Amino acid sequence: MSSESPAVILESVSKWYGEVIGINDISLAIDGGVTGVLGPNGAGKSTMFKLLLGRLKPNQGSVRLFGTDPWESTAPFRRVGYVSETEPLYEWMTGLDFVSTMARLHGMTREEAIDRAEHVLDFVGLTDVRHKEVGKYSKGMRQRIKIAHALVHDPDLIILDEPLHGCDPLARTSIMSVIRELGNRGKTVIVSSHILEEIERITEQIVILHNGRLLALGNLHAIRGLLDKHPHRILIETESPRELAKALISREPVYGVRFPDQGYLEIQTSNLSAAHSILPQVIVDSGVKVRSVENPDDNLESLLGYLVGGG
Amino acid sequence: MDSQGRGLSESVWTSLDRKAGAVIELTVRQLRNKISTWVVMALGALLMTLLLVFYIDAIRDGFESIDNDGDSFDEDNDGYPMGQERKYGTSDWDGESFPGSGNFIFEGQIDWNAPDRSISGNKTWEGSAILEATWIDYDYSGGRWSNIIDWDDGNVEQCQDGDPFDDWWPDYASACMQEDGTYVVSGKLKASGNLFVPEGQYLSWGFFTQEFFVEPDPPEMYIDEDGIDWDGSGGSQGIDDDGDCLRVGWPAQAEAEMWWEDPHNPDSNRNGVSCDVVWIINPNTGEVVSINGDDLVDEDPVDADYAGESSHRAFVIASGKVAFVLLLGLFLPLFLALGLVRDETERGTLHYLLSKPIHRGEFISYRVLGYLAVVSTYVISLSLLMALITSLIGPGDELIRFGDFPVWVGIATATILVLAAYGSLFNTIGLVMPKYGVYLCIIIGVWEFAMGFTSIISPNSPVTFLSISHWGLQIIDATVLATWPDTLQYSQMSSAFGLETGLEWIWRPPVHTLGTGNPYLSIATSVTFLSFVSLILISMGSSIFQRKEIM
Repeated sequence: MSSESPAVILESVSKWYGEVIGINDISLAIDGGVTGVLGPNGAGKSTMFKLLLGRLKPNQGSVRLFGTDPWESTAPFRRVGYVSETEPLYEWMTGLDFVSTMARLHGMTREEAIDRAEHVLDFVGLTDVRHKEVGKYSKGMRQRIKIAHALVHDPDLIILDEPLHGCDPLARTSIMSVIRELGNRGKTVIVSSHILEEIERITEQIVILHNGRLLALGNLHAIRGLLDKHPHRILIETESPRELAKALISREPVYGVRFPDQGYLEIQTSNLSAAHSILPQVIVDSGVKVRSVENPDDNLESLLGYLVGGG
Repeated sequence: MDSQGRGLSESVWTSLDRKAGAVIELTVRQLRNKISTWVVMALGALLMTLLLVFYIDAIRDGFESIDNDGDSFDEDNDGYPMGQERKYGTSDWDGESFPGSGNFIFEGQIDWNAPDRSISGNKTWEGSAILEATWIDYDYSGGRWSNIIDWDDGNVEQCQDGDPFDDWWPDYASACMQEDGTYVVSGKLKASGNLFVPEGQYLSWGFFTQEFFVEPDPPEMYIDEDGIDWDGSGGSQGIDDDGDCLRVGWPAQAEAEMWWEDPHNPDSNRNGVSCDVVWIINPNTGEVVSINGDDLVDEDPVDADYAGESSHRAFVIASGKVAFVLLLGLFLPLFLALGLVRDETERGTLHYLLSKPIHRGEFISYRVLGYLAVVSTYVISLSLLMALITSLIGPGDELIRFGDFPVWVGIATATILVLAAYGSLFNTIGLVMPKYGVYLCIIIGVWEFAMGFTSIISPNSPVTFLSISHWGLQIIDATVLATWPDTLQYSQMSSAFGLETGLEWIWRPPVHTLGTGNPYLSIATSVTFLSFVSLILISMGSSIFQRKEIM
């Protein structure tokens, strides 16, 4: 029965802590592929994960993990791997020890656990440091060992709560590729983040939470497309902002320019993609030197502002 | 078969065992990596070492014999210890009466109402009379306490005016001279002449045998000259072992000095049995009320044997009750069990354990089992070490007192059961009150400590039944009785002879024997009670944890 049920189903789930609402009437189903859960701090991401892991009981609605209520039964956890947002580990254990110990908690023999631990440590790229105490690991290594522990029993569903938080760019790239690989292998992966760009690099399937409510659910590009059709700003740092403004103002997607600061040009567009597509050619043609190009509105806050504002 | 193609027995039961083993092993390793675990265990070991130092010191000093019945004292300062004086039938209180001194042989008397009131002769006299002396032995001079008249070399005072024995009476052991040259005497004297005994007075007379020299025995000879034969019951016990009372082979047979005296009564305790000791026991408490021996029956215990064994037992029992059950029993769970789950929550590592397919109720049981594995190993090792050292050093002829080991097994069992009960309780408190649970545990600890000491002194007190420590201590009391059945006798002898080995204070017979007095029944009752309490507390903890939301 449970193997045919979707990995995650939330039906009208609400959870509140006294007067504070954690999650408000959320319904969704997730099964297969990588799903990004986006939302600022306090949006309800961690509450949703805690409900999925049976650590909290919903005040209303029902939570099903492979068709089973995780509050009542721990059976579905055999198929779930969870990477928490929290930092602490068993610092005195070696990487191999930590992962194999966690494997044994799934009922594996000592030998099976060590084999599987070696395998997943190789998968996350920690083979070289597997005999080192995790207390001596870097931030990125700590995140990867947490992912390894969540993968050791070959779960069907992997939940990662802010796995890229605090990691350096190299570690981010490494962890993102691990997550993408898991998705490619047909696992159901749920990744939370409050940074749009991170999720964008991992998946197209997103869930957006805000103030405990489900704000959007679906394909990121479709949502971004909606966003693109609304006024956007592009901030260009250049030696000759006025010269570049002259070259751009006549082009179709640009409908206004501003000079917010010395050496900066801000162009206003209603089609961000189109503006970005013409920008390189215009710069080359004008012969103006450009130091940087930024999209101040291309972040989660802008997206939320748009979604909350209703367009 | 399950979805992964494994047999059902493989996938359910075996993996359950593995998961249990993994949680237990993880718990053991976590406790092993906690500094507080090592600190509290090191303190426990230090406590045991200190106790052993005191014990070894006491044992090395040996058990000096004490004169329990005063036989070695020389009360009258005549150079002869009391035991030797009793042996020769001389007085312990009269310096003139000592072994080899002349024995008084009684010849006759004038009674209070005898018709003839005068007597003449050269005798030793005792009583009250008017003496018309031809000779007085001034060297036979004493005082009030010996009742021998103090002649002061013949310089006695003049008598008062008036009629003696009518207007006035002479003091004891005194003499005075009347105007007509006669003496008014009262006491013992040696004199020749005529004695008139007024009506209502009496006089007896006789003579002393030839004196001979007896070498005074050293006082040590009269310390612990006999052992106790007591079988633990009341009534006639301990027949004279060394013949003191029967007087077999004595050098001189003492006789009565005066007609009313009996210097040797073989049945002075008047129980119809000659030369025995009567033990009077309170039928309600079973404790010795008094010990009444016939004359010259040495009923005191041999201290080297008695005090050594009694002190050894008192040490073993005190270590088990106070150091193991009360101190280790309370401090180990306070440091090791209170945070079994609470610390994981505080550190933020609980999710590693709860995101696994392990039922929360089982999880609590496995955590407590892990804690028990650590503390049990510690307690067993410590008790084994203590057993080895004390059984090697302890009194007795054997090299190792193997007979002590069951007591140490009882101590270890009691401690582990108490640790299980406290551990389950403290862990549950840690779950319910993560922040302030430690204060509640301390309050419970104080209560248990108080009840423990009350239970040691008065195990029958019903209020102590409400504590965990009481039942642990009962296991030790019962194991002691089963292993050393004569401990009751040692305890009662300790009280009876005032030998302060501590045994009578630290040990009492077990109370939960359902009226049978059978120690094994008490062990079974206490073990069942403590196991039941632990299971109930673990179930409570499991039930609470199962319904608890983990933030």
